[in-house]
Amino acid sequence: MAELKIFGYADKISVKPGDALSFYVHADGASEADAQLVRLIHGDAHPDGPGYQEEELQSPLNGSWPVRKQFTQVGSFCTVADLDHRLALDGSFTLCTFVYANRVGDGLRQCLLGRWDAFGNRGYGLWLNPLGLLEFGYGDGREVDYIDAEVPLLKQHWYFVAASFDAKTGAATLYQESAANRYNSLLSKVAGVDYRSHVRETLRFRPLNPPEVPFLLAGAEDFHEVRGRFVTQCMNGKLDRPAVFDRVLSRAELDELRQTGLPPSEGIVAFWDTSHGYTAEGIGDHVHDIGPHGLHATGYNRPVRAQTGFNWNGRSHMFQVAPHEFGGIEFHDDAIIDCNWELTKTWAVPADLRSGAYAFRLRLGDGKGLREEYIVFFVRPAVPRAPIAFLVPTASYLAYANEHLSFDAEIMQPLAGQSPILSEIDIELYQTKSFGLSLYDHHSDGVGCCYSSYRRPILNMRPKVRMSSMGVTWQFPADLSILAWLEHAGYDFEILTDEDLHLEGVDALKPYRVVLSGSHPEYVSEKMLDATEDYIAGGGRYIYMGGNGYYWNIGLRDDEPWCVEVRKLNSGMRAWQARPGEYHMASNGQKSGIWKDLGRPPQKLMGVGFISEGFDSSRPFRRMPDSWHRRASWIFEGIEGEIIGDFGLAHAAAGGLEIDRYDLTLGTPPHALIVASSGGHSDNYVTVTEEVLYPYPGLSGSHDYRIRADMVFFTAPNGGAVFSASSIAFGQSLPFKNFDNNVAKLLGNVLTAFQSPKAVPGWAWTLDEKQFR
Amino acid sequence: MDRTAFEPTPEYGPAPPSATEAVAARTWIDPLSGFEPETPAREVPASAYLPPNTTWNETVAFKPKMYPVGRLNFFYKWPGHGGRLWWRTRYWPTRRRVLNIRGEYNRKTMRREKTILDKRPIWWTLTFLALLVAPAWVPGDAFNTVLSAAAVFGIYAAVNLCWMLVIGTAGIYSLASYAIVGAAAYGATYLAVQLGLPWWVLPAVGAVIGFLFGLLIALPALRLDGFYYALLTLGVVELCRVYVIQSRTFGSATGGIYGAPSYLPEGLSQSGQLLWGYYASLIVMVCALFLYRFVNGKRLGRVLRMAPEKKEAFAQACGVDYLRARISVFMISSTAIGAVGGFYASHFGGASPNLFSFDTLLLALAMLVIGGIGRSEGAVTGTAIVVFIDRVMIDWGPLRFVLIGMIMLLVVLFLRGGLFGIKPQFRTWRDKKKSERRASRSEKGGEMLPEEATETANKDEIYYRRFDKMQRDFLKRLVSKEVIEEHRTRPLGQHSEALDRLLIYFRRQGQIDKYAILVAEEFKAYRIVALSGHRGTTPRVVEDRTYGSPDEAYHALFMRRIQDLLES
Repeated sequence: MAELKIFGYADKISVKPGDALSFYVHADGASEADAQLVRLIHGDAHPDGPGYQEEELQSPLNGSWPVRKQFTQVGSFCTVADLDHRLALDGSFTLCTFVYANRVGDGLRQCLLGRWDAFGNRGYGLWLNPLGLLEFGYGDGREVDYIDAEVPLLKQHWYFVAASFDAKTGAATLYQESAANRYNSLLSKVAGVDYRSHVRETLRFRPLNPPEVPFLLAGAEDFHEVRGRFVTQCMNGKLDRPAVFDRVLSRAELDELRQTGLPPSEGIVAFWDTSHGYTAEGIGDHVHDIGPHGLHATGYNRPVRAQTGFNWNGRSHMFQVAPHEFGGIEFHDDAIIDCNWELTKTWAVPADLRSGAYAFRLRLGDGKGLREEYIVFFVRPAVPRAPIAFLVPTASYLAYANEHLSFDAEIMQPLAGQSPILSEIDIELYQTKSFGLSLYDHHSDGVGCCYSSYRRPILNMRPKVRMSSMGVTWQFPADLSILAWLEHAGYDFEILTDEDLHLEGVDALKPYRVVLSGSHPEYVSEKMLDATEDYIAGGGRYIYMGGNGYYWNIGLRDDEPWCVEVRKLNSGMRAWQARPGEYHMASNGQKSGIWKDLGRPPQKLMGVGFISEGFDSSRPFRRMPDSWHRRASWIFEGIEGEIIGDFGLAHAAAGGLEIDRYDLTLGTPPHALIVASSGGHSDNYVTVTEEVLYPYPGLSGSHDYRIRADMVFFTAPNGGAVFSASSIAFGQSLPFKNFDNNVAKLLGNVLTAFQSPKAVPGWAWTLDEKQFR
Repeated sequence: MDRTAFEPTPEYGPAPPSATEAVAARTWIDPLSGFEPETPAREVPASAYLPPNTTWNETVAFKPKMYPVGRLNFFYKWPGHGGRLWWRTRYWPTRRRVLNIRGEYNRKTMRREKTILDKRPIWWTLTFLALLVAPAWVPGDAFNTVLSAAAVFGIYAAVNLCWMLVIGTAGIYSLASYAIVGAAAYGATYLAVQLGLPWWVLPAVGAVIGFLFGLLIALPALRLDGFYYALLTLGVVELCRVYVIQSRTFGSATGGIYGAPSYLPEGLSQSGQLLWGYYASLIVMVCALFLYRFVNGKRLGRVLRMAPEKKEAFAQACGVDYLRARISVFMISSTAIGAVGGFYASHFGGASPNLFSFDTLLLALAMLVIGGIGRSEGAVTGTAIVVFIDRVMIDWGPLRFVLIGMIMLLVVLFLRGGLFGIKPQFRTWRDKKKSERRASRSEKGGEMLPEEATETANKDEIYYRRFDKMQRDFLKRLVSKEVIEEHRTRPLGQHSEALDRLLIYFRRQGQIDKYAILVAEEFKAYRIVALSGHRGTTPRVVEDRTYGSPDEAYHALFMRRIQDLLES
């Protein structure tokens, strides 16, 4: 019997009472799982806190769920709608494409394009073979015949490759020429590499083209007796303008196509113009065929669009300006957007369910480790009525979803200042390809992962999970500490998510007098940022509960909000870096990167912005002199002494992990006050790269005065106000001593004042100081 | 590990007296203490400052002797085709290309080159051409001797090729091959004499006899292995010999049976007859080569290579029916040997008991062993050498056999795969010597030698090795009781300079075999594992101890790293 494991996901992350929610569950070694609806209260089992807390709720879905093994199609590719089997080419034909391979050889067979049945050896295809050679071949169901090129393709280099087959003589000809210019490839002319290869060979028989074999770009069909048909031989790299012709193209015609990107008019079966269809708002998964039959292709698992093409010449860095230079469509053999599992259960959210963080808890066997799964979702109120909203940073949860940093990133240990503490979940994520990657990971070909979605099990968006590289809870389980405090202190609050904010804008926030952020709302779209700004300017009150927030610009397609996109550009604390020219997101056409570089540093919104991170220790806050001003002194009412938060679940203090700083030069409102600051951070805290022009010795905690978390407060128009805690560890100090501590007291003072319809205390003490002492 | 017992000793680093003095314990004050003015500054006994470039300044030369490296290309390297069309040809009607050629980039110049991966087709072609024209160069006085020997060579080579299938491919130690030749020759001659058969029927008759004979001795091969089977076949050979010597029917009186029809046309001169016989034997050998190629190089051969000696059980468990394949090969080669026996009868006009004699068997065995078991070129070359000594160097008298014995002895003593195994054997030997020499020249964990560096594609790694060596030599000298105690009391957070350097080095290491901590039970039990560094491969557990808290696990992991550093 297989080892017992259970994983699942839901089709939505944010629901209202009455909405239908579908669950998709995979189980190894079991056919039944024990399900229980729970409301999640506290997610950190740290002994200094109240421990893990959840509330089991009555539900008709509680009890046994039938579960089964499910299969995930890993890897991105394009399918072609070829209903009339026009690509079942029985006569002479030519296949060609521009190709930029991220990974060559390594024993991998990568199909560039073809109509190939890898199980039955039928059809034809053009590959990069396990030795890295361009290969054209076909099969008749019994035998395979093939021809390969003289030298392997070099990686990260644009080539134009073609294979033609003369059905009369049986001669197959391979065409391989460089399509590099000064900008678009790894090596320049000075390397003096001869990339060309032209090989001809007479093959033995003719291909068999059964109607059921599909034509795919960047993949080939395979079959397994349990799983059925699936796609294999996925490609790692970019294709540009793949095409199929029903005749043998001459060398001169192919040369012409290589130089211009335009096909000869005669004999086109399909010519996928990958640069067709760009709008100012980006591009979808549709790949347009400009040939006579309209054999349009559709991307699966989101091949990355808006990538530089074979003819990108370094002049334009946005696809809107010169779309024809951005025909690159990039595939990865480990990309996953949607697991597309078979439905396990559907549930209508009951009308009386209060807003909060919920999960269906599924258990197999003893319910420990991987035998327990929480499918987390957030329930909004049908109609908002509470004064307080907690904005769940679901986009940032997605950014970290299923991260592998402890295993893959050599820099993670020096960055975190510690050795990782791995759990079964981390090992499972590392072991299997089928849970996908986070925005911090690299694809197997070394290219950064720019998409993350929740239509797959997210093993670290569960209660109890700790981030292995840092030894603390992170994102969702850390944010549960804030929710637990709200619950414990008896505040009347409701839940909102990033997705709601993105889709509904400021209307989602307006009903609330005060909104609390999560501990690390790092990834925000323009719509989310606009809504937050409008909300505060319109009199809303905002408590920024964390650090390194409002940092990366992400893109979402409004009709597919489960998937976020980011391009990590040339600045910021980044796990990878986009290639030159690939700065604009396919999802919405916007330039990605950090908001600071787009003219919207977080200081403009919250008064503070990212300054440093360190994970070996945290430090308490100490009151700053401005906090005795009557504008702010109410925040510290009932707190003895100057030290705030010298305790906590995240390295035993409230100021740490990722911390933000006040900076007038980056747009902190001039009237903002620093009411408390952390200090004495260790040298594991280093100044963030976007603040460094020249790195010099002394950019670390014990040298650089800027490395600190600034607790900032300012009033906003129309009775609004902002309080920024500026530290991720802040929220994890709340549960200390069962929520009886000065961080909880301080936040209580702020929240109580903010949720009141009255003006913020101390608003009237505005005259110049004229004191005798 | 008992950490209190730890003592840094001079053997961990070549520390000069001044440096040792500098490492004497001192007090380190936490620079962050100023942020807690209410409490006294944290002071920790720590190693004193040692400049990090110490090892760089101390090491001005490496002791091992350096030699200039680089090889001139004595062989012609074919250039790439570049933009020209390369029209590749195949052996009609197969999918096999005429030559197996690999195009590549020369790592040292990025010049395009082509390498013929398998040159054997070229050597075979040249050999055939040479054999075809060879009679023209045979000196007149030796013409008779050489050409009749050459004909014998052709026939023996054919038999040996078939035998090689049995011994090399099928791995059956049968010594009965020449007995089959004998049986077929005797039977064919007898039938030809009795029934008046034409010459061209003899090979077919021989094949039938070979098949039946093969069937007879294949049955015990199902149950007997190796040495015992060899003994059995030896018995069969002896049985045949004794039988034909004593049997009147088979010419006990005349010393063989004669009168088989010859394939030679009537009225040829003697030299014409010799030439005719030579070329006919050559054709038989070529047929045997094709048979060898089609059995050894195709499915049967592949199946049997999956089941080498002593790994039969594994192959069988994988679904390889090696027994059936072995017997098939045995039957095919027995039949073929029988056919050669038929030809033998026609060539020599009969058969003699000599075919069953022990010295024939030993000579034939010498042919296989000298050339190398398991290779067709080995069988042919070995046959050529032995036949040449045996039949051409007749003047040497009995010394010939001493010479053959000497060669065989030398081959068995010094070569692993016969003459044709010399190349791989030499390369293995050279690699062994190379690594021995390099190991003796490189200081332990040292930087790359020129010989290794030139073969390293990424030159960055060469510098990394140098840096890493210097760094490790330096860091070894920072390890002290104080540093270890400091880590034990506070594994995370601000550390003294020496400890900080050690930790930064440890944390920056590559992912392969990097230590990590595994949760056995949250906040209760932790273990130490090592990462694989390969996506998809889980970490391995390095010890069976568990630690009660993360801090204890951090420290145990640190101690393992210290130990690895000092041992490197």
